[in-house]
Amino acid sequence: MIARKVMLLGEIGVGKSSLARRLVFDKFEFDYKPTIGVDVYRYNVPDSPTRPQMSLILWDTDGNFGDAIFKHIYMKEASAALIIGDMSRSPTLDSMVKLGSGFGDAFPGRHIGYIVNKTDLTASPEAVPLPARLTMPGTSLIRTSAKTGSHVAEAFDAAADSIARRNP
Amino acid sequence: MSQKLSTPPPTVSPAATPEVRNENGLKILEAGQMLADFGAYGLIWMKHDLTVEDTFGRLVDFVTRGELVTNSVLPIIGLEESILALSAVPSRVLELPAVSVASEPNKGGKLNFTFIWNTRRNCPMAIAYKSSSQTEIEIELSKQIRARLMAEAEVTAKSKELARANADLESFAAIISHDLKAPLRHMRQLTETAFDKTGLADDAGLRDILRDIEGQSRRMSGMLTALLDYSSLGRKYEGLESVDTRALIEAIKDSLPESGHAILIDGHWPVLSTLHAPLDLVLRNLVANALQHHDRPTGTIAVTCEDQTLALAIRIADDGPGIDPHHHASIFLPFRTLKPNGESNSTGMGLAAVKKTIEGAGGTIAVSSNPVAARGTTFTLTWPKVLRD
Repeated sequence: MIARKVMLLGEIGVGKSSLARRLVFDKFEFDYKPTIGVDVYRYNVPDSPTRPQMSLILWDTDGNFGDAIFKHIYMKEASAALIIGDMSRSPTLDSMVKLGSGFGDAFPGRHIGYIVNKTDLTASPEAVPLPARLTMPGTSLIRTSAKTGSHVAEAFDAAADSIARRNP
Repeated sequence: MSQKLSTPPPTVSPAATPEVRNENGLKILEAGQMLADFGAYGLIWMKHDLTVEDTFGRLVDFVTRGELVTNSVLPIIGLEESILALSAVPSRVLELPAVSVASEPNKGGKLNFTFIWNTRRNCPMAIAYKSSSQTEIEIELSKQIRARLMAEAEVTAKSKELARANADLESFAAIISHDLKAPLRHMRQLTETAFDKTGLADDAGLRDILRDIEGQSRRMSGMLTALLDYSSLGRKYEGLESVDTRALIEAIKDSLPESGHAILIDGHWPVLSTLHAPLDLVLRNLVANALQHHDRPTGTIAVTCEDQTLALAIRIADDGPGIDPHHHASIFLPFRTLKPNGESNSTGMGLAAVKKTIEGAGGTIAVSSNPVAARGTTFTLTWPKVLRD
């Protein structure tokens, strides 16, 4: 089975670890434990008519890296980045644009998926204003809730599809 | 054998003391102990296909010999070529700091891995160090930063929600009061037409009913005008200006209709930078209110100002009939008047507008009166001397 490295990037407290744990262990922990350094998870995406089974190695990074992450050894051989923001904190949504741009410059042609997390905090997630860059046509944008599990697997499956298309 | 071997350092548990596994065992053990002294607790030797050939140290005891190293140390996945490329430049190292190595997060902590090329054995080797970055202080700091961010987000969200709700309420009040006036005006005209054209004016009973309808619609129109004014409070004022408060209260006194009531102005009224129109509205309404509800042809209304450090404390005291303490809270609500409908020209919005204006400026208002003990009512308000523009 092919394994591909996927970076989870985003400001501190946006839910990177919660998304990874919801995906891999189907659990949500209410006690917040900040990630120091990196946690690495394996998530096996079942095969589909368009691609074989794939193992995503999720690199759940410390949210305090900022732009420095792109020069870090952690990023080596990354096939994709999932860039995460907190729907209830607009500065984290602005950071998504910056991180997306940084990853795109450092790794041209690789998949970038944007995840707006914590949809459980609002009754109408679609109404929360987002930076224009995130809603441009062709941009992979998924609204999730690690707390409820809503659309979490979908976000990672979409990344696997995109990786397979770009780097079969 | 060195002294260190006969007395293993405390950082290596007895269970992790390696057995001598091959001819190089003693040297490996010695090298391991030396590295342990410098803070390294685990070594992994690999073959060229990255299967694990040998290990040393308790920090890498989860790594299985004969298996691909990537099966045990997930973070290496993707770095295979970089590790093998070290053979070309053996002086180079590849460092991977603070990564989790256990499949279950938060179990086993994090390790720093340094990959080097072992030229003697011509194979890649990983040196594992316990990561020193995951300190309690750092975790606590991160938690505090996160808690502050969460709190800020909550306050911002609530403020936005409140501002939107207030805006909705104000526009709702403005729209209904404006739009309801048109049909009311129409009703009054229809009543007049009915009165004039149908000959019903001869019927005394019907005439009274029509007049009553007209009177009530006029009253409702007045209430809607007052509601419109009330809903626009706080939105129509200009910025701060220099206001001579003594001149302001004197002007208010002079503008009120002549009556048998004396308005006595006392105290220290300073000149200050404030909102002129709102302060005028507050003082004018309170003095006019005292005059309007006085039950005797003569009386006194004393208006005094005390210039305090942070605010003006203004008292408007009359010698009128007083207000039952049971009504002290309700008199500040919109459309509340203590007189029955029709007995007063008041819409019941005056004190509500006063309270909203004062609180909008950051001040307070209180009423004091007890008709059972003594006549008279005193309104005491504070008006901040420093306002935000």
